[in-house]
Amino acid sequence: MARSGRSRSSTKEATPPRLPGEAARLVFFGVAAAGTLLAWYGITRWSGVPGFLLPTPAAVGARFLTALEDGSLLRHTAVTLSEVLAGLGLGVVAGASLGYWLAKSPRAEHLLSPYIVASQAIPIVAIAPLLIIWLGPGRSSKILISALIVFFPILISTIAGIRSVPNDLRDLMRSLRATRRQTLRLLEIPAAAPFFLGGLKIGSTLAVIGAVVGEFVGADQGLGFLVNLGRGLYDTALVFTALLVLIAMALVLYSLAAVLERETLRWRHIEKDH
Amino acid sequence: MKRLVLLSTLIVLVPACTPAIAPAPDGVRSIRLPMGYLPSVQYAPFYVAEARGYFAEEGLELQFDYAFETDGVKLVGAGELPFSLASGEQVLLARQQELPVVYVFGWWQDYPVAIAAPASSGIERPSDLAGRTVGIPLLGGASYIGYAAMLSADGLPLDAATLQVIGFTQAEALQAGQVDAAVVYANNEPIVLASQGFPVDVLRVADYVTLASNGIITNEATLRDDPDLVRRMLRATLRGLQDTLADPEAAFEICKIYVEGLSGEAESIQRQVLAESILFWEADRLGYSQPAAWENMERVMLEAGLLAETQPLDQAYTNQFVP
Repeated sequence: MARSGRSRSSTKEATPPRLPGEAARLVFFGVAAAGTLLAWYGITRWSGVPGFLLPTPAAVGARFLTALEDGSLLRHTAVTLSEVLAGLGLGVVAGASLGYWLAKSPRAEHLLSPYIVASQAIPIVAIAPLLIIWLGPGRSSKILISALIVFFPILISTIAGIRSVPNDLRDLMRSLRATRRQTLRLLEIPAAAPFFLGGLKIGSTLAVIGAVVGEFVGADQGLGFLVNLGRGLYDTALVFTALLVLIAMALVLYSLAAVLERETLRWRHIEKDH
Repeated sequence: MKRLVLLSTLIVLVPACTPAIAPAPDGVRSIRLPMGYLPSVQYAPFYVAEARGYFAEEGLELQFDYAFETDGVKLVGAGELPFSLASGEQVLLARQQELPVVYVFGWWQDYPVAIAAPASSGIERPSDLAGRTVGIPLLGGASYIGYAAMLSADGLPLDAATLQVIGFTQAEALQAGQVDAAVVYANNEPIVLASQGFPVDVLRVADYVTLASNGIITNEATLRDDPDLVRRMLRATLRGLQDTLADPEAAFEICKIYVEGLSGEAESIQRQVLAESILFWEADRLGYSQPAAWENMERVMLEAGLLAETQPLDQAYTNQFVP
């Protein structure tokens, strides 16, 4: 859409746009993390809360290192990460494909949207046991649960993105006798990208939740299993270790989606600068 | 400050937090009792004791809390609640992590875990499981301990069969043929499966080894500072248990006050569940813990790697307060 030759050629000349305040944000993140750790330490040190309810940061750090050294943490993290990535991929492909079709076909959207919305009212924890019965207790059930939870935000963001294309630009593509594929590649995908990437950022964190829900219900590996194991053994430091790794995983995935968004939409900033 | 932080922590860790011990205006002590499972006829003795006023006669008012077993143990260990229902292995696991919980009333005299296999499978004793796939809800808790104990009792290593974690979908997994056998509760799934026209052979852990099963736990502080409360609680529970054993029909009718869905099609199944459960509660001396059951439990848990070292078992349970 509205990308002039001038703006294209200026891409090479432009200084890579660093977002304003990026360094400050990193500093803030570091300060907030340090503050959280200090507050956590203070609570465990002076409140008298027993360690089996709230372990100290040092106890969690030690448990983290133990699990890292014996290889169990890496093994379980790898399992969950593989389920998350596969679920995210499946959810994105399904959500974007159906979203594109529904955006182009208001009649189909009118027919299907009540069912799609209704499906979102079903708590995923309620159907997770059924999926494990149907698909078996292996990874496929966790991948599907993860995909199901990712599906909706991707679907909605794709529909919104495709619908955001101005009609006059569609007319322009038609007047240029653009093929359907050219319209998709040159107009619709760039127009829908900001919406889709916003949905992807949400979906990337939800994918982690989906995989862990599946592992909670029935699994013998993965970080969700590790949380269950820690609970069952009253090893709260292990529970915290697994939760912190899950948080880190979600943060990394979100950050990757944010970087993808920034790099993909770089041309928009350049256009604004000009 | 301590209480505030503790409560905040518990709100995060424990779903459905309600006030632990509410002061009652007339001197009656309100006690929240974590049950560890959903409302069920398996809790008949407590329902009977509450409905017939046995707790009230002891100056107690019970609030049934259907929280997870591990959460109840933590709350008791933290001193937030005086009592919870828990299985023997939970006491040893908790004490290993320095939770000062003590088992004071052996309600279930036998361990209810069992292995169920389709009637035609030829699985008639634990050694028949070698090389088979066994479904298990999770790799921990009573199911895992019971499974490990049964294999050990028959001289099999823990990896003799392939364990498959299937969540609490044992009945469906057996019927679908996903597993050759499944770890179940003897007083529940086999009855449900039979009612669905899927008869199973049941290998009961209790037929191979005696283990410390479900009962009432408290904490060391309550035992030390308020032993009379423990005695009152156990007296009322024992009366409820005695009444249930004496008249299961009446107990079942009382259960209908506390448990939904006990009428109609489910009634006959739930009556069988209660009848089967009662078999695990009967004893010459109700509420008494067998020392051998605790020794066996510790041995099995050590073999399974769930305990790092032996514990002073006389601190984990006591029969001193059994009426």
